[in-house]
Amino acid sequence: MIELFLVFLIFGSLGILLILMNKILGPRKTNPKKEKPFECGSPYLQDKVNTLPIKYYLVAVLFLLFDIEVVFFFPWAMIFREMQPKAFIIMFFYIVILLVGFVYAWKKGAFEWER
Amino acid sequence: MIQPIYFIILSLIIFVLGIIAFFIKRDLITMFMAVEVMLNAANLAFIALTKAIGIIDGQIIVLFVITVAAAEAAVGLAIILLIFRQKKTIRTEDIQVMKG
Amino acid sequence: MNSIMAAVPLLTVVVGSLFLLILEVFLNRENKSYLGYISLTFLVICGIICTSFWNKDYSYFNGSLHLDNLSIFFYIISLLTIGFVILISLKYLFLQEANHGEFFALILFALSGMMIMVSSTDLLIIFLGLELLSISSYILAGFRLKDVRSSESAIKYFLLGSFASAFLVFGMAFLFGISHSTSLLAIVQHLQSGTSFKLIGFMGLGLVLAGFGFKIALAPFHMWAPDVYEGAPTPVTTFFSIGPKAAGFAVFLRFFHIYWHSLESSQAIFWLLWVIAVLTMIIGNLAALRQTNIKRILAYSSIAHGGYLMVAVLAQDYTSLMFYLVVYLFMNIGAFSAVIALSKKNKEFLELDDYSGIGFQYPWIGALFSVFLFSLAGFPPTGGFLAKFYVFSAAVRQGLVPLVIISVLTCLVSVFYYLRIIVYMYMKEPFHTVDVYKENPALFLVMFLCVYEVFQLGINPGSILVLIRQALISLPVF
Repeated sequence: MIELFLVFLIFGSLGILLILMNKILGPRKTNPKKEKPFECGSPYLQDKVNTLPIKYYLVAVLFLLFDIEVVFFFPWAMIFREMQPKAFIIMFFYIVILLVGFVYAWKKGAFEWER
Repeated sequence: MIQPIYFIILSLIIFVLGIIAFFIKRDLITMFMAVEVMLNAANLAFIALTKAIGIIDGQIIVLFVITVAAAEAAVGLAIILLIFRQKKTIRTEDIQVMKG
Repeated sequence: MNSIMAAVPLLTVVVGSLFLLILEVFLNRENKSYLGYISLTFLVICGIICTSFWNKDYSYFNGSLHLDNLSIFFYIISLLTIGFVILISLKYLFLQEANHGEFFALILFALSGMMIMVSSTDLLIIFLGLELLSISSYILAGFRLKDVRSSESAIKYFLLGSFASAFLVFGMAFLFGISHSTSLLAIVQHLQSGTSFKLIGFMGLGLVLAGFGFKIALAPFHMWAPDVYEGAPTPVTTFFSIGPKAAGFAVFLRFFHIYWHSLESSQAIFWLLWVIAVLTMIIGNLAALRQTNIKRILAYSSIAHGGYLMVAVLAQDYTSLMFYLVVYLFMNIGAFSAVIALSKKNKEFLELDDYSGIGFQYPWIGALFSVFLFSLAGFPPTGGFLAKFYVFSAAVRQGLVPLVIISVLTCLVSVFYYLRIIVYMYMKEPFHTVDVYKENPALFLVMFLCVYEVFQLGINPGSILVLIRQALISLPVF
């Protein structure tokens, strides 16, 4: 155990030291040209990396939410046999709530790609 | 096997790193990510404690915390997006209108 | 008794909010006030169901949620708050470019969060209720989508709020570690008995208290409140100043009722809370002195009132705590609805200068606002006086004389800034003409109800005190 820790300590600190050495020791002379992503002399065509279209955001968030809500099916499945009739009712209500959210998102047009 | 106490110490370290990042970063998304790091540190602590104690409740709590964090992420990103549409920036010093 | 029937009041509210959400997307009408009336109907149904459970003492979901008298009392407080907020926001949403039907669904979600919080004795369930309340609040704070201030207040509330809930969860992990459970009773028992992990336990308790202190804006964690209160739409500000506070103090009540009985361990936390209460009162009242925006003044005043409520917690007198909450509910909603009354299409009058001469231009609004301000300051014929009187006398009975002296002094300071608004309204020449949108019957209904209750509670508090005593019976006895 302690050896593992020591190995991590030594190699980790060595790595950090090597990375930092550059910054600590190296001379620092910057000018606006140097800060630019390309130093080829020609002016670049675009400002920066393209931002993603905002559509991705909605889909990603909806995916995240519905994905994580399904996690609760696992503990439910574990105890399903023990609480046979009750488990069905509880999960029914849970799915109804999810469904309401889904219908709401649908009617609001969250899934329409072209708008 | 690694003792659970190491995981608890690790979670403490991650939590403190999250706090530090929350205070030194000046970018809404990064600040929000710092909060998520803190929540996940708490999750790690829960898992480690569950392992140490030997009862399974802690793992269920982690599921709840993850769900809450996801809901928070959805709302938070929506608010950040709203601000970006209004001001075209998400730097904290640029969005400050009210004092304090 | 453990019965699923006891979940009916909570389910009514949840079903109501889901119903409103669906109705809003399918009908999608221009005028949204029909959604407000439907949500009010659900609130009334829920209230009637609640009262039918009085004195029955049910619990459900294996005892993690209780429907005892205390829960029902706080349910009614929450229902009243939300009902009033819906009434004062009916016209406001239309006037201030916030005409989205989701408002009513969200505010009912927040209500269900509050109801979960006040009826639970399990830290995990309390956390879930708190998050339901907070996440709805984050959206509500940014509800005026075109207003820069509104979205700034939303992001501030969101970032600091989720920061605080991270503390809460981490503290919960520690408490879970020492007590192997999340029930408040088990946690307190292990804090008493466990000697080896005492430090970890108190660290966890401190983190949890910090998280809650943030949500109810106690002093070292109050810095978000003025900005959020200023930027949020005014009915939402009204809700923020009462809803989370009432729910948070309900949790404090349940927790500290158990906690103060664990004799040897309570000293450190007692002095911590003592300092927090003093800081809250001093900072809240002193910072309010130099504000010129009316919503910021009311924000700092609500922070200060949090301090007085903390005094009641320290005095271990829950009757006065709950009485103070009831009075605070009516007088604060009244004050904020007076602020809402002074608005027109796309413009609210929020600077102190706008209020000069209001008392003669709009005698009704001026007079009612003055009554609420007198009550907030604690003048005798109103409920605000009796509430403060009960809290302070309970604290004196507990021997907390220095604390009471500090609170009375800060009360005197508070009189200054409340009276300053009244001086502006009645003793200054109008700064500029203030024309107000007047056709708002729901708002005036709320103001008259509140003024009636403020006097009723100030002159004849007997009936409500009886109800509070009946509610407190359901606390566990030691």
